[in-house]
Amino acid sequence: MSFYAHFTLPFIIGALAMFAIIAYRYTSWIVQLPRRDKALLRKGILSFATIRSVWEVICESLLHVKIWRRDPRLGYMHMSLAFGWFLLIAVGSVESLLYTGTLLVPLQGHVFFRYFATAIDKHIPLMDNIMDGLLLFVLSGVALAWFKRLRSRALGMRRTTRHTIGDRLALSTLWFIFPARLVAESVTAAIYGGGGFLTGSLGALLGEVVPASVLQALFEPVWWFYSSVLGIFFVAMPFSRYMHIFTEIPLIFLRNYRLSVGDKRTSYDNFQVQACSRCGICIDPCQLQAELGLNDVQSVYFLRDRREHQLTLNTAATCLMCGRCSTACPVGIDLNALRLNSRVEMRNTPSEKRFVYLRGLDRSEGMGKVGYFAGCMTMLTPRTLSAMQSIFEAADEQVWWADKSGGVCCGRPLKLSGERDSAHKMVAYNTELFRKHEITTLVTSCPICLRTFKEDYNLEGIEVLHHSEYIARLISSGRLRLRKGEGAFVYHDPCELGRGCGIYDAPREVISALGTLLEAKHNRRDALCCGSSLANLSIGDQAQLRIASSLTQELEQSGADTLVTACPLCKKALGRSAKVPTRDLSEIVAENIV
Amino acid sequence: MTEKRVAIIGGGVAGMQMAIHLKERGANPVIIEREPTLGGKVAGWYVLFPTFTPAEQVVAPLKQRIAELGIEVMLDTTVTAIAPTCVTLQHGQLLRCDAVALCSGSTLFDARIKEEYGYGIYDNVYTSADLEQMMREGEVRMANGERPERIAILHCVGSRDEKVCQRHCSKVCCVTGVKQAIELKRMMPQAEVFNFYMDIRMFGPGYEEMYREAQVAHNVHFVRGRISEASPLSEGRLQIKAEDTLTGRPLRMSVDMLVLLIGMRGNDDNLPLATSAGITLAENGFFHPRNHFLDNVESERKGIFMAGTCSSPKSIGETLCEATTAAERIINYLNRSNKA
Repeated sequence: MSFYAHFTLPFIIGALAMFAIIAYRYTSWIVQLPRRDKALLRKGILSFATIRSVWEVICESLLHVKIWRRDPRLGYMHMSLAFGWFLLIAVGSVESLLYTGTLLVPLQGHVFFRYFATAIDKHIPLMDNIMDGLLLFVLSGVALAWFKRLRSRALGMRRTTRHTIGDRLALSTLWFIFPARLVAESVTAAIYGGGGFLTGSLGALLGEVVPASVLQALFEPVWWFYSSVLGIFFVAMPFSRYMHIFTEIPLIFLRNYRLSVGDKRTSYDNFQVQACSRCGICIDPCQLQAELGLNDVQSVYFLRDRREHQLTLNTAATCLMCGRCSTACPVGIDLNALRLNSRVEMRNTPSEKRFVYLRGLDRSEGMGKVGYFAGCMTMLTPRTLSAMQSIFEAADEQVWWADKSGGVCCGRPLKLSGERDSAHKMVAYNTELFRKHEITTLVTSCPICLRTFKEDYNLEGIEVLHHSEYIARLISSGRLRLRKGEGAFVYHDPCELGRGCGIYDAPREVISALGTLLEAKHNRRDALCCGSSLANLSIGDQAQLRIASSLTQELEQSGADTLVTACPLCKKALGRSAKVPTRDLSEIVAENIV
Repeated sequence: MTEKRVAIIGGGVAGMQMAIHLKERGANPVIIEREPTLGGKVAGWYVLFPTFTPAEQVVAPLKQRIAELGIEVMLDTTVTAIAPTCVTLQHGQLLRCDAVALCSGSTLFDARIKEEYGYGIYDNVYTSADLEQMMREGEVRMANGERPERIAILHCVGSRDEKVCQRHCSKVCCVTGVKQAIELKRMMPQAEVFNFYMDIRMFGPGYEEMYREAQVAHNVHFVRGRISEASPLSEGRLQIKAEDTLTGRPLRMSVDMLVLLIGMRGNDDNLPLATSAGITLAENGFFHPRNHFLDNVESERKGIFMAGTCSSPKSIGETLCEATTAAERIINYLNRSNKA
């Protein structure tokens, strides 16, 4: 039998155009990948990473497990649309196989099967009911999406994304696709009979109330309408946020092959940027939104502007890079890295003359296998420095002091501001300094320095430790004995230490060794930012204070008598508005050495 | 009239001056002072700018007059709430009155908050208040007992500093810095004294002349630039880092002593007091008058008056002047309510 009717043309053209555009894009993005990434891709394809990726695609692209975990209502909405549509196609091909006895049914044959089935004198009620069930499943998702537009809070989101005109066009056609299918199939059932519990019953109802001549006149137009909305959606799709539907799939594979976003834009970034569904889940965790009411700089808008080549420095610069949005992102987009390489493009100003004074500079003191790098911010909070001094003395450690009398910045502030080349000069200087003094362990009390030592320095042979890890080791190995007292301490996870370096337990172990550890409402991966982030290039001091005040309030609600953190910058930020003392971890340790 | 009671909160120079005037005009003032003695901050100073008059010559006559007039004074007493006709004391005890005057002064900025200057961490970092104390005791010495040979005085510690939420200018620290520099040079002519400042604000009579005298007659150095941090060197010396913004160069200097000119901030209990009285605070945490011109010693609420540094940083002369004015306004207020 023939599976062709004129009304299928919009669908066929739309689908072919969409596949052609997507295939062209993915191919060219892959071809343009840097050589290093291509090698990773070749190595990865035949590895276990591929199987893992397939599983992840099922979990995330179809079932949306991460969104389920965040909010079941939102999870159901995403799943019913993605998984429901997928099942409609998959089960639809089974349906056509059962009806026609052949696998050779062209694409439009599945999609418009009820139209072509009118020529077949055969009914499989079970199949019809399954297909109707799936259609209802998808329609329930569409209904929730409509509802979410009206009342986002009902689906667990305080704020939802504001869309561009192009997105609205694609969104509207998407919303029409399934209701159009319902109408087309019901009208068909009204005339020809058949259909499942949904389209069949609706058809029977239509047959009773609408005159047969009207139904006949409607028959072709309703299928034309269904085909047209599909066609328009497919053509609009690669140019709208719905590009994410397919792009998340190659992204999952490439990410599992260990491709990553670097400080320079590469072709891989396209997969990251285009995989954003603009679900807007990143908006609520953003403290700039919650505390300051800024609502056009969040990752969703940053990615939108970057995708549309309309990114401004203000959008790229107005971000604390605290990482709360990355933690929440259901697609796992590397949001901070993308923002950073945009900043590099806008702000990197290489200069040969700058920093010439670094040559030959060495103000370090002492000798030892353990090096201590205080960092600029610790120099501004010298209680931490003197506490570290007592801790080293108590543990009888021979220490090489990298910067006690003034050192060179670790480079991270420059890196975060987009000045990559200048940051590299700091990195090169400090690396050479560490090598020259032959240290094997590098301890720092600043998580900002720590992160850049871990991410940007090549310190093979030198173990890099945050002071919380170092102190925890001293305690567990018995080199440092602490007095356990009555103090109640609430610990604030610094962004760079927690989400940045994954260090959550060491500071808590240390606090538990000397007093009672309390937790704030938001802690560990969910911890709030103190607002003083070095990544911020535009938020003024008073606004930072507002962010800090709401954090100190939350910390104080734990009932603690002391706020403890493990970052000099957080300590300064919290100390400004705290009613109880704010201390660095090292200070409370130094005071309780036995 | 003799029956009219005025509760004066604070027994510093503002409260004492006001009490004396009220008593002389026939009212019955009562001074409520949280400390065990009268005199407030001024009692802790050595000599006063711009005339180098000993602070004692201001405080002692006021105290003496208070005693002569038999003015009631409640020491070691804290006020927890105020209303125009009633003041609540520490244990919930009520004090009936016909008017209230806020003369509660201000709080000195806690220099430990600017941790980078090392106050309370390193030896030989002092506040301007500590220096006044040392001068009252007769000598300025380092922690090891030696005479300092090079002293840095840093302006604007806890003033004009958004980072510590103190955006206002404390007004009198500039001239205090100049005064202390001259005193140090008079005590130790061989010592080098450096003032690190953002702006030098010489607003009062004779101040600008003092600033000039410091440079010409005493060779005090003035460097425009804030110190960014201090770190310890051997033997209690300190290394300071700053930028000389006139030459545009960073500088490092080793000094024997660092003096931090700490600013004035609103008292912590200003907010509960204002809330209890139904009046508002200025954004910087000080009380504010109903307006800055014709009612500059009156609060937003009739029957509550103010004088001195509780409403903004002020010099001693200005404070005394306000106290007199406020006393005059209170008398008028009491007379009017008498007729009514």
